[in-house]
Amino acid sequence: MSVLDALQSALAEEHATLWTYGVLGARTSQATSPELYATLTTAYRRHRSRRDQLRLMVRDAAGEPVAAAVAYELDGALVRAPQVQRAAAGLEAAGVEMLLALVARSSGEVREWALTEATWSAVWQVELGGSAQTWPGAAELG
Amino acid sequence: MVSAAGTALAAPLVAAGCDIDPPARSGGSSPATPPPPEDAELVATVVAELVRAGAALEAATLSAPDLTPLLAPVAAAHAEHLELLAGAVADADVPTAEPRSIAGGRAKALAAVRRSERRLQRVVRDACVAAASGDLARALASVAASTAQHGAALAGTPTGTGVTT
Repeated sequence: MSVLDALQSALAEEHATLWTYGVLGARTSQATSPELYATLTTAYRRHRSRRDQLRLMVRDAAGEPVAAAVAYELDGALVRAPQVQRAAAGLEAAGVEMLLALVARSSGEVREWALTEATWSAVWQVELGGSAQTWPGAAELG
Repeated sequence: MVSAAGTALAAPLVAAGCDIDPPARSGGSSPATPPPPEDAELVATVVAELVRAGAALEAATLSAPDLTPLLAPVAAAHAEHLELLAGAVADADVPTAEPRSIAGGRAKALAAVRRSERRLQRVVRDACVAAASGDLARALASVAASTAQHGAALAGTPTGTGVTT
């Protein structure tokens, strides 16, 4: 897999993540769950910026950025706040895995950026109620 | 002696074949040529830093035993990171570090651990960016992410008495 392939895979996943965060935010009440709402909003903004950066990186690598799908599938019921929170933590965990793949395939500024974003997602997973792990994004190393 | 986990990471450092290929989602192709020897030096630097961070954790728990439940998961993660990475530089000596006493009780002990973890984070991050082997960079990125997660958990811990999780 080339750097461009890894960037395109990351961008495709970022499209799905951003769409899902939009759904999670829409199903979260700012009035009754203000902390969760704020956490989701921060994550949504971060992922939107990440998507935009990935688009630029794909173009820098002489590629045409993959487009977002019209809609994506959601796993399980996402009605109650704990379900929304777990789903968001799952998005961040998947993001760490995806970004570590980009770390492996890249070097220099792209790798440094992927590392920064992977670290952010790992921390945000904890912010969303997840536990600190020994090998986030690379469980097979344990 | 090289542990099984260490063998997995040692592979990309000593042979063209690689046993810690990333999962299928990342493509999984192995490096075509052996990574250059500077990666071994880089791993040795991280190993030394993990040993130092482990000693800092031990010093904190000796100084404030009530921190043990809070710091034990951090120490356990570092021990696993150390096992994997030390196996990758099997011919090199794993350094030792004696825990230094920390005066001032729980608050100062916790502050010392937070400083130590931030330092570890910087070293691992630099090593990840500099690694010639992509698979090693990925493993180091996971170590950095783990350290950041534990750091976030510690950052939310009051420095007074009582442990919250």
